[in-house]
Amino acid sequence: MLLNQFLLLAAVLFCIGVYGVLTRRNGVMVLMSIELILNAVNINLIAFGTYLSDATGQAFALFIIAVAAAEVGVGLAIVLMLFRNRRSIDIDAVDQLKG
Amino acid sequence: MNILAAVGVDNPPLDWHALAPELVLVGLLAVLLLVDAFGGERSRWAMPSLTGIGLLAALIPVATLAYDGVVRSMFDGAYVVDNYALLFKALFLIAGYVVVLLSTNYIAEGDYWEGEYYQLLVASLLGMTVMASARDLISVFLALELLSIPAYMLAAWRKRDLGSEEAGMKYYLMGVFASAILLYGMSLLYGMTGSTLLVDIAGAIEGTEVPALVALAVVLVVVGFAFKVSAVPFHTWAPDTYQGAPTPVTAFLAVGSKAAGFVALMTVVLIAFPTQPRIFEPLIWALAAVTMIVGNLIALRQTNLVRMLAYSGVAQAGYILAPLAVAGVSGASAAMAVEAVSTYLVIYAAMNLGAFAVVIAVARKTGSAEIDSYGGLFSYSPVLAVCMSVFLFSLAGIPPLAGWYGKLTIFLALIEPGTLAGYILAVIVGLASVIALFYYARVAKVMFVDPAPDGDTTPIRVPMSLAAALTITVAVTLVVGVLPQVLARVTGAETFLSIGG
Amino acid sequence: MLLAQQLTESADILEVANTGSFWNILTFVVFTPLVGALVLLAIPKANQQALKVVALGTTLVAAGLGVVILTQFDFGDASAKQLGANIGWIEVINSRYIVGIDGISLPLLMLTLLIMPLVVIYSWNHIPSPGNPKAFFALQMVLMTGMLGSFVALDLILFFVFFEVVLLPMYFLIGVWGGEQRQYASIKFFLYTLFGSALMLVAFLALYFLSDEVLTPSGNVMHSFDMTLLPALATGISAGAALWIFGGMFIGFGVKVPMFPFHTWLPDAHTQAPTVGSVILAAVLLKLGTYGFMRIAIPILPDAAKSWAPVIGILAVIGIIYGALCCLAQTDMKRLIAFSSVAHMGFTMLAISTLTDFGFNAALFGMVAHGLITGMLFFLAGSTKERYHTLEIKRLGGLLKQAPHMGWIMGLAVMASLGLPGLAGFWGEFPAILSAYDPAEGLNVALFRTLMVIAAVGTVLAAGYLLWLYQRVAFGTPSAEFENDPNIVDVTTTEWIAWTPLIVLIVVLGMVPGILFNVTNPAVGVALSAIGA
Repeated sequence: MLLNQFLLLAAVLFCIGVYGVLTRRNGVMVLMSIELILNAVNINLIAFGTYLSDATGQAFALFIIAVAAAEVGVGLAIVLMLFRNRRSIDIDAVDQLKG
Repeated sequence: MNILAAVGVDNPPLDWHALAPELVLVGLLAVLLLVDAFGGERSRWAMPSLTGIGLLAALIPVATLAYDGVVRSMFDGAYVVDNYALLFKALFLIAGYVVVLLSTNYIAEGDYWEGEYYQLLVASLLGMTVMASARDLISVFLALELLSIPAYMLAAWRKRDLGSEEAGMKYYLMGVFASAILLYGMSLLYGMTGSTLLVDIAGAIEGTEVPALVALAVVLVVVGFAFKVSAVPFHTWAPDTYQGAPTPVTAFLAVGSKAAGFVALMTVVLIAFPTQPRIFEPLIWALAAVTMIVGNLIALRQTNLVRMLAYSGVAQAGYILAPLAVAGVSGASAAMAVEAVSTYLVIYAAMNLGAFAVVIAVARKTGSAEIDSYGGLFSYSPVLAVCMSVFLFSLAGIPPLAGWYGKLTIFLALIEPGTLAGYILAVIVGLASVIALFYYARVAKVMFVDPAPDGDTTPIRVPMSLAAALTITVAVTLVVGVLPQVLARVTGAETFLSIGG
Repeated sequence: MLLAQQLTESADILEVANTGSFWNILTFVVFTPLVGALVLLAIPKANQQALKVVALGTTLVAAGLGVVILTQFDFGDASAKQLGANIGWIEVINSRYIVGIDGISLPLLMLTLLIMPLVVIYSWNHIPSPGNPKAFFALQMVLMTGMLGSFVALDLILFFVFFEVVLLPMYFLIGVWGGEQRQYASIKFFLYTLFGSALMLVAFLALYFLSDEVLTPSGNVMHSFDMTLLPALATGISAGAALWIFGGMFIGFGVKVPMFPFHTWLPDAHTQAPTVGSVILAAVLLKLGTYGFMRIAIPILPDAAKSWAPVIGILAVIGIIYGALCCLAQTDMKRLIAFSSVAHMGFTMLAISTLTDFGFNAALFGMVAHGLITGMLFFLAGSTKERYHTLEIKRLGGLLKQAPHMGWIMGLAVMASLGLPGLAGFWGEFPAILSAYDPAEGLNVALFRTLMVIAAVGTVLAAGYLLWLYQRVAFGTPSAEFENDPNIVDVTTTEWIAWTPLIVLIVVLGMVPGILFNVTNPAVGVALSAIGA
């Protein structure tokens, strides 16, 4: 099986995700970058699970998908709330508190 | 006819007694939801009392399980109830109870959604109690998310307040990012070992052919948890979140959420990585050293007490990390590290919750958490000033307040292995504690010496629930400080033998 | 259990047994002040008279218990740890509640019990600004518990706890009731001491883990913090490790003494502290450091002590000369007395560094004498400040004319301080110098004799600055600004009551030094048994 290619894809996605989190200033874009990392994790888990003929990896991936959905729901709610109050989702503009 | 049995899946055997604390919390959650949905405004007042009673009720099965003393393992060892788990379950539940006491008046009198607040609090506590028992990557992940997601919302709970929303936003983004990194490390671990069970992972990575990948996985997992426990350089969210969030939530995050992070870190590192001390020891050593030094130095120049407590919490995280940096030397050092971390977490919970209780009480009058606003506190509310001093000097580790015993166990754990790394870290802990004293003492000075900023010296009226919270935390801080054996008996080494399996 | 039995039979493991009960005379004397503090907290702030009476009553009860201890103490067996108990405390680390006194701790315990009532009496009409006698006395009571506890504790962790308990009340005494730069001084005091005690704790724990194990009463084989057992248990520690451990304790205790170069907190603390704070600091707190050397560091690690002795000796002598020179440069009376403390503690440390019976006896006598004399001098400085509202030496003068009794008392204290034969100071200073002539076996004799000569020069300097101080303050005529000042009165009643015991003891100990030496001598022999001098 082409395990290496899947791992490589996941690694690339992971790096893009981390890069996005560190450089993007738009709250929604940061959220999407985090989603990329989570998808990298899912690809890893499913690829490993298939390679090892073990269902645990797929189960783990299912858990992650479900939890990530809840997480993004909460995240978007917070972003939305912030947007309603200040008309911007630029996280650099969120500097009420000294960081 | 069971449909699962029809397709060839067996129901896993369930030990209802072992799950009882969590089940009580689930029941409590349902009750709160129903009362809030059908009771409406009229039942608001009952929410905190109900929550408090429910949390105390959840302690009953914890006590009976501890009395029983049998190690209960479920789901092939993914979920274990042993003394280690029970100690932390009890800690989370009691800390949760104190947080409810702190919240009662604060939430009722402020502009907050009250019913949902307590539901989220209980949900997060449920995650924590699960975390104490989790011995599998999947259950660790689920517990972590279950405790974090409600906490993100709680941090942003203050309505129409930009500071609070910002607190929630920062906490959320950093938390999710940390989870993602953690998960990537976990996925690698799974791939190399073919198992998500921590014990199996320990056995499988011992003879691995790809040490570099193991190292990467260990580093990613440790870093992921480092975010959760606000270790430097992954601490940047903590001060902003702590300052912006409603103060009872801050207390909850600083104590409960952080303790849960440590429990997870300790469980994973000591069960899954005991064969990899060459990787995790230097990493945690550096994290601990940098965390306590930087945390203390930045705390020095804070003018807001909550921010100061946040940075002091960062520094305290460094102390708590320290024993783990030498935990891989031998079985004995691992046992001592567990004892030190658990002892410190219990003491830390008491003194930190107490400090926040005073902050909440003082803010009722002054509406501020600036250190200057504490001027003259001793002259108009001497009891609060003395309580605050007890907590601050306990955080500084001055005997006979509980903090000294926490520091002592950390020193013991660092020196026991007799390694140079341990000795150096012990000296760094000592020096960092000296720096820390500066800012704790400064607050004491303001309270005792400086005049009240606006000359207003009417005493602060402390509501019943806050007074109860203060009584509990002061009592724990003093009793454990004078008679450490009370706590040591619970955290003692022999109770932790089952951590390995 | 079986395992434990086998161990006792096979190896020569030391067995620890519970002895005595928690409710013994030493426990009572240590915790009486704490009870007093709690009673003080219960009394309303406005009732000043009751506060003073309770504070005085507490110290007097403690002092009365001290008299009982004196009657019960077996002076024929002063080398043994007496009147104490040995019971469990923190079982998981085998730290025990072990208390007891011998000829080394008894004089210091008595000194504390004597000074504290005097301090309270002196405070009767002298509560420093910003007032609040309730907190003032309560802190003093807590402080007293810490000091007494440090002198009776025979377990390293118990000792550490009491040693640290002293810190907070002293910090508040200086920081709240002190002079203009009180915050700087109190923080400096706190940080230096805490820094020292952090290293000390690390040293204690290293000692704990590296020494041999004992059999506890509950049947476990564990390491021990017992000071009386550790000399035997620590023999197996490698020389290198012992040197490091001793180094940690050296800094911990050296800061407290204070030894050069860790002394810089002392002048600030003394100058800024309220009078009673200075008196307690000089009379008792500094002794915790020297006591730590004599009780813990040297008996437990005698070989490391030999290696460190030259360092201690040299630093002690530097302290003597440096302190004396600084005295000559001071313009403030309190600061001058503070630096003279550095010099005097230098003599004590020099005597300790010889590691001989003779030196240890001299050091103990020096500690008690310094406590009495310097305590007296700080009382005088406080009273002078109250009358003249300044301690600038060049503005003072003519004390003998304006307040003759006070002038004479100051004369006596100054003479005692510079080591005039016939007064207590002589027996602390002279034997200390003499002891350096013949240090313990294995120490560099030439070095110590050189140190002896330099220390002797130090006494001349001491005579110089003290006489100069006395001449400027007491002789001559009062300066114009104070000539007709009605504030300047002679010794008041409370001052008489507070000072008389000190004056009597300074004279009595000077005339009959044997009463102290006879107590210390046997105990010192035990402490140094491993040195083989």
